[in-house]
Amino acid sequence: MSAINRAPKESISRSTGSGVIAAVCSACAALLVLGFPGPARSQAQPPAKSQTKAVPYPGAVRPTTAPPPGPSGPVPRMRDGKPDLSGMWNGQRPLPNQPDPEMLPWAAALTKERTENYSADDPEARCLPGGVPRSAPYHTQYVQTLKLLLMLVEGNIHSFRQIFLDRTAHPKNVGQLWYGDSIGQWDGDTLVVDTVGFNDRFWFDMAGHPHTTQLHVIERYHRRDYGNMEIQVTIEDPGAYSKPWVSNRVATLETQIDMSEYVCNENNSDALHLVGK
Amino acid sequence: MHGKRLSGFALLAGVMVCLLAQPARGQQAKPKAAAGLPRAEDGKADLSGVWIVSDGLQITPNPPYQPAFQKLWEERKKNASDDPAKYCLPNGVVRMTSRPYKIVQTEKLVVLLSEGNTHSFRRFFLDGRAHNLDLEPNSWTGDSIASWEGDTLVVDSIGFNDRTWLDDTGKPHSDELHVVERYRRPNLNRLEIQYTIEDPKALTKPFTFTRVMTLVPDRDLQEYFCTDTNRLAAK
Repeated sequence: MSAINRAPKESISRSTGSGVIAAVCSACAALLVLGFPGPARSQAQPPAKSQTKAVPYPGAVRPTTAPPPGPSGPVPRMRDGKPDLSGMWNGQRPLPNQPDPEMLPWAAALTKERTENYSADDPEARCLPGGVPRSAPYHTQYVQTLKLLLMLVEGNIHSFRQIFLDRTAHPKNVGQLWYGDSIGQWDGDTLVVDTVGFNDRFWFDMAGHPHTTQLHVIERYHRRDYGNMEIQVTIEDPGAYSKPWVSNRVATLETQIDMSEYVCNENNSDALHLVGK
Repeated sequence: MHGKRLSGFALLAGVMVCLLAQPARGQQAKPKAAAGLPRAEDGKADLSGVWIVSDGLQITPNPPYQPAFQKLWEERKKNASDDPAKYCLPNGVVRMTSRPYKIVQTEKLVVLLSEGNTHSFRRFFLDGRAHNLDLEPNSWTGDSIASWEGDTLVVDSIGFNDRTWLDDTGKPHSDELHVVERYRRPNLNRLEIQYTIEDPKALTKPFTFTRVMTLVPDRDLQEYFCTDTNRLAAK
């Protein structure tokens, strides 16, 4: 399924001061709605105070209520007694009242520039991976074994993350990757995923929050009950943020529909339409 | 056989060392591991691991094509500009690359991850479901359901589009493609996949071939995103 075919589900167009640019990818628009955090948040930050023109992205308003919960029931367990996180999960959604990022001046300026340029250079729109921890409206299927947590992502590209549960250290020469190197350890019933080894190319959201190769992401996954996952994400990047940026999200279990075969590259019209100012 | 027995013995010894070192995990010891072939927790053959195609990427040299599809194949052999792989589009299920693949196996789902082409995945459902094409009637990788026949994993796939190539030479198929794959691990380092290709629109009769893959120890899949360097991809 191509990106554009998602339009009926996430149909949102982007408005500007002078009118509506009709051609906006559904994927990116949905990322705005659900992405973390939206452009409005960055604009509310001190470094961006001088910004005079607010870009009226639809859906850029912070959520004020928590999303509806998923199905209840007991947490499934693995044979080793650990929670089994396996299942088809809906896209992560931020909880209300999350703290704002505290950016270094260059990062604030770059975010502002990217936002004002209508996210024209967003790699995600060119079918490059969204990286970690960019949230998306698409499903993610978790497949857990005793040694591995696999995340099969529906979009933006139909790919996967591997979280290794059988080692406690990152490789020495981890490289610069889109998804980094992820290892997971249990803290009680919470899986703590530690990821390093990133490139500096992906954006955290459509607002364009940047990062450097010093990025270190800690995700804490807690399957509260059968259908509800609590996810706390901590972004540490002394190259771009003056202190760690923590946000809380939830994901609910999808029980009605499987993931589609989302092939970003098939009829991708996003890049053609992201023309900037 | 001597070597196999030795490796079996080494495995058994390894299990014993684990038992001694970590008594709390003793109950996880796999009773059949000593037989030489790895077993999953549910007792099925364990196909998991990183595998690489070791007997060439071309499938059957001359599939029994109907004239129109034979002609299409001849055209592609002369002009490969429409190769979906050049645009970072998925290879489908029959065409493979020289980069490694990884099998992750659970009781109800087997996942085949691919490093190359689109760095994506296929899912083989083992939960007894029937084919369901409601969501994706014509997809690149089809809909795959699976079952065990002894130690052989039988994967049945339908619901394809007609855009993938069956191998690098451009062998075509129609949307009536039906692929049955039989995965078997005859020894620790070898995975054999027997393919049966049915396509009443494109072929005069079904054909079968076997692909051999070799275990790649101590190497996991690496990140490979076709779209990262490919200028045609964003078109």
